[in-house]
Amino acid sequence: MTPFGWAIAAIVVLSLLGLPVGHAMIAGSLLYFWVKGVDMGTAAEQLLNGMYTSYLLLAIPLFILAAEFMNSGSIMDRLLRFCNALVGRWRGGMAQVNVVQSIVFAGMSGSALADAAGSGKIMQTLMTKDGKYTPAFAAALTAVSSVIGPIIPPSIPLVIFALISDTSIGYLFLGGVIPGLLLGIVQMALIAAMAKRRHFPVEAPVPVREWPRITWEAFPALMMPVILFGCLYSGITTPTEAAAAAAAYALAASAILYRSIGWRDVYQSLVTSARVTISIGMLIAGALVFNYVITVENIPKTVAAMLYAYQLSPIGFLVFANVVLLVLGCFLEGTTILLVIVPVMLPTARALGIDPVHFGVVAVVNIMIGLVTPPYGLLLFMMSKIADIPLKDLVREVLPFLWVMIAALAIITFVPDTVLFLPRLLGYKG
Amino acid sequence: MLRWLQRRAENIAALMLAVMFAAFVLQIVFRYFFNFPIGWTSELTVVMWLWIVLWGAAFVLRENEEVRFDLLAGAVGRRGRIAMGIVAAGALLVLYGKSLPASWSYVTFMKVEKSSYLKIRMDWLFSIYLVFLVAILARYLWILWHLVRGREPEEADVSAKAGSGL
Repeated sequence: MTPFGWAIAAIVVLSLLGLPVGHAMIAGSLLYFWVKGVDMGTAAEQLLNGMYTSYLLLAIPLFILAAEFMNSGSIMDRLLRFCNALVGRWRGGMAQVNVVQSIVFAGMSGSALADAAGSGKIMQTLMTKDGKYTPAFAAALTAVSSVIGPIIPPSIPLVIFALISDTSIGYLFLGGVIPGLLLGIVQMALIAAMAKRRHFPVEAPVPVREWPRITWEAFPALMMPVILFGCLYSGITTPTEAAAAAAAYALAASAILYRSIGWRDVYQSLVTSARVTISIGMLIAGALVFNYVITVENIPKTVAAMLYAYQLSPIGFLVFANVVLLVLGCFLEGTTILLVIVPVMLPTARALGIDPVHFGVVAVVNIMIGLVTPPYGLLLFMMSKIADIPLKDLVREVLPFLWVMIAALAIITFVPDTVLFLPRLLGYKG
Repeated sequence: MLRWLQRRAENIAALMLAVMFAAFVLQIVFRYFFNFPIGWTSELTVVMWLWIVLWGAAFVLRENEEVRFDLLAGAVGRRGRIAMGIVAAGALLVLYGKSLPASWSYVTFMKVEKSSYLKIRMDWLFSIYLVFLVAILARYLWILWHLVRGREPEEADVSAKAGSGL
């Protein structure tokens, strides 16, 4: 077996045996250096220099922090009241509120798992109270609607994609807006279609004269995406600084305007954010070392040459990429796919003339859908735990949503303008 | 005692994140409001990022919070899980242990360079990697010891917010 074969085998086996994925990648790469007779200090060199020079990645802890600051109970209550005023009067109102809440929260948070953790419990209570919806349906809906979080900016996976592909983070963020809304729309349409057949209840309509007050109360939270985009596109700040500005705004809004958090909560937000940063940081650290091995072995070029032999058209390649990413998403952890598999596909995408912003958004939508595909779907695991229902029941309710999301993914794939319209409107030349 | 130390490690990680955040705010304020760009803040933030991750991986994150693939572990019985854990921990100990001397020489070699703004010697900045390596080796020795004595590894904590950040 070649040294590279050993490395792959070690990473796969060690991950299957239950070693944390980040450590498995470092250990597999170390084995590669050992077998190949390369200095094993290369791992330290790649990891340290990679982490030390990827300034863009600092946006990740800052976005996590911003969402944590916004994630207090009283802000969530106000946002839910706002969403309820918008769509509660429809049949299946509370189910629609769940989706709209995810869209609104997507503009503040870059992580689907954080979104589900933040709103999962409260949505579960609201939806299953008085037996309105079955617990399995409520939990499934929270899982699928959370998928929207990192597609609408800010977005942690899009920050990672910007890094691995050297694409503008600003344009990637803009590119995610329409696809994210599209996913929300297909979910809401499916709920509307189900509502009659399954006799979903209607919420008491909110009187029109209360709308201004409800909107006013939600306003500071709704402004957060505006602050973020304002900083990004006015050129006042770099993208990483824009993340910091968003976090500073979130802190000011929740501490001063809403008075919903005190010192203790600020500290707790820091601890929670640090923990998430550490776990994702270890995945990135492992990927930095392993990607060095992949580059030394010239794997992306080999793959490009192999695919070239099949004479794939750009559309053919995108379909192929979608299938590969969706299938991998059923079994692998998403960040790992993004950090290891997507970079291997990038040179081919480039050679075929596929726009990197389009490809990035398509890849991230795939990976996010992977969070709700069984058997391995982190959002499924999380909601099954939060709602305390068997995975099997949850999966049954998720499936119809999965099909409509894949249909939306097809639209995003075949109509690049769904992604590229907004970036081009703001000056993207691609 | 261990719990107490872990709490303090957590305090430090939170403090480092706070420093990173504050440095960013300072940087924006100085450049945008006072038209006075400062470079040392960006260096400080990057150092904090590197240290939070490696410090945290060494001392803050509990074993069951890390991102891992646990479908297989769920499918086999208790003895199977223990055997799997022993093989994985053994492999990590051999590979990380074997890389320790070379990592030491890389990090100490970096004493020839200094960071651009704060003029801190790079071997000091990078020394956190050695701390990380030794702490992980110690942690897995401890895990291996427990596994060999027949104690099952902890179940992964999926509801913990720590995750892959997706």
